[in-house]
Amino acid sequence: MSTNTSSPKSAGNRVGSVQCDNTTLHLLKANDYVANAIRERLKDVCVINVCSSPGSGKTTLMQETGKLLANDLNISVLVGDPETERDAIRMREVGINALQIVTGGMCHIEAQMILQALDHIDITGTDLLFIENVGNLLCPSAFDLGEDYRVTLLATTEGDDKPKKYPRMFLTSELMLVSKSDLLPYVPFSVDAVTKDAREVNPNIEVITISTLKNEGIDEWCDWLKEKVKQKKESRLQAEVK
Amino acid sequence: MHELSIVKDIFDTLEGHYGARVEDVQQIQVTAGLLSNVQPVLIQNAFDAFIAENRGYAEMELEVVVNDIVAYCDVCQQNFPVHYHRFVCPCGRSSSTIVQGNELYISKVIFKQEK
Repeated sequence: MSTNTSSPKSAGNRVGSVQCDNTTLHLLKANDYVANAIRERLKDVCVINVCSSPGSGKTTLMQETGKLLANDLNISVLVGDPETERDAIRMREVGINALQIVTGGMCHIEAQMILQALDHIDITGTDLLFIENVGNLLCPSAFDLGEDYRVTLLATTEGDDKPKKYPRMFLTSELMLVSKSDLLPYVPFSVDAVTKDAREVNPNIEVITISTLKNEGIDEWCDWLKEKVKQKKESRLQAEVK
Repeated sequence: MHELSIVKDIFDTLEGHYGARVEDVQQIQVTAGLLSNVQPVLIQNAFDAFIAENRGYAEMELEVVVNDIVAYCDVCQQNFPVHYHRFVCPCGRSSSTIVQGNELYISKVIFKQEK
């Protein structure tokens, strides 16, 4: 028995004996490749991947954000759901350029779906592109969609133990939005506890508490978005100068 | 929940890398960090389902190695194990510099012996 510990490329030609190849063939490589192609294509657009459980208020937040920033930013939304086109219709009702990605029962969006969707939506002049992911705190965390930032909503009704239960989602997010803060008086949820847990998983995660219905924290969220769009445009300009 | 697509990715990767030699593979070892959201039992089931549908691979075996999470503390300048997803060094400082735990790759491929 021979053991081959050299690189995978140099392996081979050893038919006739048991051969053991030690490799580092990365899985999900195809997704990461496509994600980088998206980044290359959307150099002028700030892309934000919005994740959460089902029903924590992603679509409502997108609608309100679109209305509030209508005069400041040109916003488009790609919205993923296992079935139906309801969310894209909700976006268009408030005047947001939106395209539905129906994943056909799949639990997450993959980069390939975004790349294909970009051929079917006119994003000329778009400053900010939201990707509203499928409601799920697990699988979407593993798939890079070519985004600049990942934002995860956690509704007060979901319980404040989620960052520790779904660590990779919070580990890979730049911002956690604690949503439905208007319900805080009625549910056993501590913003301090959830912030502490989230920061034990990801010390750099920013936290904003919001209520879309009662308009709490929304200004702070909109300022965060405007700042990120500005940063993207500035870094693009700097890259051009070089 | 997407273990089946990972299994398909395993075979696509193997076919892309080894071409026709894939048919001679006897065993593969996949290394999955605890943060990769891959459950050994589920991926084993998905693998069994896949080879049941694809006769050419009927005798292939899968081994899944799970890696613990290890992070690096800038202050202590050394690695520390992360338990219960608490990314805090024994010295008390937080760190999100992950050294191990995110990975998901085929770590070993064993080919059949010629009869």
